[in-house]
Amino acid sequence: MANIIETAKGAGVFGTLLTAVEVAGLTGALESPGPFTVFAPVDDAFAALPPGTVQTLVDNVPQLARILKFHVLSGAYRREQLIEQPEWESLEGAPVAIRRAEPFEVKNATVVSADIVCDNGIVHVIDRVILPG
Amino acid sequence: MTPPTATAPEPVTAPLIPPSTHRYADVIHRLEAGGSMLPDTPENLMQIIGIYKAYAVPMDFYWRDLLYIAEQVFLDPLPAFKYFISQEYLDLPNSYAGDQSKLRIWRGGEKAHPELLEFMANGEAGKMPKLLHHLWHDRINMEFAEACMEAMLWHQDMGGRFYDYLDSDAYRANADRAIKAYFRGNPLMLGLYRLFPEMFMEQVKKMSYYANLGLFWEVMAPVFFEMSDIYDEGGFSGVPAAMDFLVNGIFAVAGRPIYHHVYIKGECFEIIPKSEGFTWLYEAALPYVEAVFYRTAPFRGTKSYNAQAYQVPSDQADFHYGILYADVFPVGSAGIPPTLLMQDMLHFLPPYLVDLYKTHKRGEEDQLIQLGITFQRSMYNVTSAVIQALRDALLYPLDDTDPEHLMANRRFFEAQMDRFLRPEARLSQIQTQDYR
Repeated sequence: MANIIETAKGAGVFGTLLTAVEVAGLTGALESPGPFTVFAPVDDAFAALPPGTVQTLVDNVPQLARILKFHVLSGAYRREQLIEQPEWESLEGAPVAIRRAEPFEVKNATVVSADIVCDNGIVHVIDRVILPG
Repeated sequence: MTPPTATAPEPVTAPLIPPSTHRYADVIHRLEAGGSMLPDTPENLMQIIGIYKAYAVPMDFYWRDLLYIAEQVFLDPLPAFKYFISQEYLDLPNSYAGDQSKLRIWRGGEKAHPELLEFMANGEAGKMPKLLHHLWHDRINMEFAEACMEAMLWHQDMGGRFYDYLDSDAYRANADRAIKAYFRGNPLMLGLYRLFPEMFMEQVKKMSYYANLGLFWEVMAPVFFEMSDIYDEGGFSGVPAAMDFLVNGIFAVAGRPIYHHVYIKGECFEIIPKSEGFTWLYEAALPYVEAVFYRTAPFRGTKSYNAQAYQVPSDQADFHYGILYADVFPVGSAGIPPTLLMQDMLHFLPPYLVDLYKTHKRGEEDQLIQLGITFQRSMYNVTSAVIQALRDALLYPLDDTDPEHLMANRRFFEAQMDRFLRPEARLSQIQTQDYR
């Protein structure tokens, strides 16, 4: 089986996310044993943000890392486990709300593909970048 | 003869959710349609853009001097010259304007605005030494900027992590190093620090809020200049377009670092390092809007309140003395912070606003009040941009087709409008043009 980073690379729709993770220096962490739960926004999700949003974050590594960490939970959780609890603490510190089970929604994003099992965790693919608050 | 073309009837689709029954249902429906709390009229557009320009010029001084005070004046026990900004800070290139900027969205240059420099040199009274301009109050009123900073310092807990960090061990250790370095060789001040450490810490916290607000406004000045330029070129189709421009701006710089660096004898002390990950949106913009637009505190000399009779809320979160609630007339008394801002903006009004004010109310006699109300309209538009940005960031697109999502947006908009149910709110007044 592949780790989270290898799985994301193989999928071909996480170019922006992988670049951001690399710039933020989080690649090593996501290759470590973890385990983690990652809500992974697809490229279109980043492209939908207003112009400049991603650039400002990429120019400022700690701020970028903070937003990315909001997409990661400590521990590997499948959809069935996640929907049991209304909120999960992200690595950023702010809670990630599970808003709906069917369709599966994490904050204001819809999970387009759930439960992708990797060596060091589980990936849920989401259609929007989620933000704390 | 060509037959008349039949126009297809508008498709009639039932709305996905029932209409709101909120007192401000009209405003809520407008927000749901992508509009602003401020109605979309040509005059409203002219008023808000004109005042953004008049605001941006003094703001170009505020942010520079706020950073000068936070980073250079710092703990000077007698900061009589804190408004005498150094040339270095007056020339500080704006991080979000000019060719050296990493993010080149707004066209303006990185230097202080020419109208600002001209006013600083001549003021109203003409050329004279800087000290006389200062004492005569013929200058940019930094007291307004400091009042905004104090509102943020005093209300403190308004989301974001900035305030929590100010109580952390890391912050206290950084501040301690800076205090000791600043007063090195000054046994009197170091002795006072040993006796009253918290007093010094409190001053450093205040300085951190100077930095916070300075970094916040550094972005807003070029945004407002750009809006004025776009309007002059005929580029805004209406109030919603102006609001959308602000929404995009909020996102573009949301990740800007908020930090506090102090320079003591050339050495940089990172009291709040950029590596804390504090952002413009969460640690500056949102607390600013909450503290300054909504809450602030009653201004001395405007009105008497009896706290025992609960005329002042016991909960700080219920404070409602900001611009969105202001009765501009009594607040327009001499020396009151918002009046100082009005005075600052008066110097930089575009001609079309001067002409507008001449044709209403008392003409030139009550320009300060008229522009204060214009400012109020413009800040309802900025607040609308913040509300729409939050809706976009945390909730759902306006054209979402899922009724549950639309209801979540609705509840959010209604909760925001609940804040304007109290009688002091000016939301009803700004719906019509005759409120001036």
